[in-house]
Amino acid sequence: MNRRSFLKKSMVASAGAFAAPYILPSGRLFAATGARKVNHVVFCLFAGGVRNFESIQKAEGNLMRAMLNGNEAITADILPAMSPLPNSPLPLPLQNYGTLYKEFRYGTGPTGHYNGHTTAVTGTYTAVDLNIRDNPANPTIFEYYRKYNSTSQSALNTWWVSNSLGPYPALNYSKYPGYGAAFGANFIAPTFLISQEGYDALGNMQSFTSSEEATIKNIRNFMNLNFNKKFKDNEVGVVNETQDVKRLQDFILDKFNKAVSGQYANPWNLANGGIMTNDMYNILFAEEIIQEFKPELMVVNMQDVDICHSNFTQYCNNLRKSDYAVAHLWNTIQNTPGMANDTIMIIAPEHGRNLNPNSIVDNYGRKALDHTSDQTSREIFCMVIGPPSVVKQGQVINSIQGESIDIVPTIANILGFDTGIPNGMLSGQVLQQSFI
Amino acid sequence: MVNKIKLLILDFIIAGLGSCKKETNVVYEVNESTVNTFGNPKERIKTTVEFISIAYQDLFGNTISAQKLSSLSVAYTAFGDKKLIEDMIIKNFINQPNTTIPTQAVMMADKQKFISETFKKIYNRNPGEYETWFMEKEITDNASLTPKMIYYAMMTSDEYRYY
Repeated sequence: MNRRSFLKKSMVASAGAFAAPYILPSGRLFAATGARKVNHVVFCLFAGGVRNFESIQKAEGNLMRAMLNGNEAITADILPAMSPLPNSPLPLPLQNYGTLYKEFRYGTGPTGHYNGHTTAVTGTYTAVDLNIRDNPANPTIFEYYRKYNSTSQSALNTWWVSNSLGPYPALNYSKYPGYGAAFGANFIAPTFLISQEGYDALGNMQSFTSSEEATIKNIRNFMNLNFNKKFKDNEVGVVNETQDVKRLQDFILDKFNKAVSGQYANPWNLANGGIMTNDMYNILFAEEIIQEFKPELMVVNMQDVDICHSNFTQYCNNLRKSDYAVAHLWNTIQNTPGMANDTIMIIAPEHGRNLNPNSIVDNYGRKALDHTSDQTSREIFCMVIGPPSVVKQGQVINSIQGESIDIVPTIANILGFDTGIPNGMLSGQVLQQSFI
Repeated sequence: MVNKIKLLILDFIIAGLGSCKKETNVVYEVNESTVNTFGNPKERIKTTVEFISIAYQDLFGNTISAQKLSSLSVAYTAFGDKKLIEDMIIKNFINQPNTTIPTQAVMMADKQKFISETFKKIYNRNPGEYETWFMEKEITDNASLTPKMIYYAMMTSDEYRYY
């Protein structure tokens, strides 16, 4: 027995004494670590930048009635621009189902979208400004999950759902050595994929019978054996297991069929279907993923409030719509067997917006806001909601507690793999105040 | 090892000849040969844009338009499992009526020509003898095998990812 073999076997035996590891079919070794609080986490990013003034401080009235308690009237001058929205599908605002951190912080680094999102999914602040096609330098929560969780490593179990492209397709895995695409999440930008362009590219596939597929596989295998290189799947992104690929393709085709038959014209039966924003559609497709795959970890990105750079009033309106959509998502989770009462949802903006406006004035006389790393743009909120046996219900934390880098370790703790993450990888803390 | 095989073959021959015949000193041996991997030395992995545009060229015989490439790239970018999307793109391409994929009749009329031309088009090289034999046997033995299936199998193989 050589030294490497001996060490390998010794390590497996030692681990077995403490954590009962097991080898999954892929051959990778997983060690059971901590206990899970629940089996599913959905992290909603109110991306695009949201100020505490317009959200939890209700400076324009309660724009987020589905999430926050209170019936404060919306400021009269912008009220005519607000789209009619139905009441929340939930009996109570979301804050009643968990803990609200009113003074959360985006601690350091530029308050840009790349930085905000990267921090949210890696749990590490970054000062790198723009290389938007590049994968982040530090491992993402998806990679930690797939590398260290103890029950499943399938990519189907973790999703990164974004309502826009730009830098976001690169955030489903990092370039950190030892992590990467092999541990990445399934990224989807539904409003781009389920589109006319997407349908033209993908919606009219040649179908093969299972017998034909077997013949094709035989020929492909022969060709691969005769070629002197092995193409590594993860050189072109995250990889799904062979049996999952068909399921995913069928899922995508089902969305095309629904789109073609008009089922997405007004999917939530709103008074006016035209008020559906990209954020709302993004949540809609996140719900369909939840219903189909019941993922253990999902991060959902909303971006429509970013219109605040040029239109403050519309920012307020879109904040309302995203607020409604998040409540709709939680309602769907609670009506999805396998996820109901077994899911914790974390909601936080990626970062805030500036105290002082820029010079752009909208039709209602309101000045627009950017996000250029002033102190106000670091002030955000966070909400952790979940089953009453796990999450403290109706708790409001008014003092400055928690920051963006705490969300990744909190998710790892909820899903029980935090103790598997090597020391020093994460500097944030678990948001323990949220839990019973 | 070669000597052992020679001796083994010789033993069988001697046993087969029987004891009543005069012993003949016959030695059978296998010519030594070096087995090479098929294909040209393809070293570089196609980028996503290259993959799409080359596949289009291979299947439709003309260059993809910038507009179409842009549209395909959007769908390509919007999902993280690129191999899955590539598979869907190829399946969509070969399902188009205006591809240059030969018909079943053309394939059956001259199998070797079909194989040779398919390899040149898709892999940009001639097939090896073993490959020709394998493909011809597949076509002969499997009546349900279509040119589309062969194109699809080859365009989703490892070699097609490289150039």
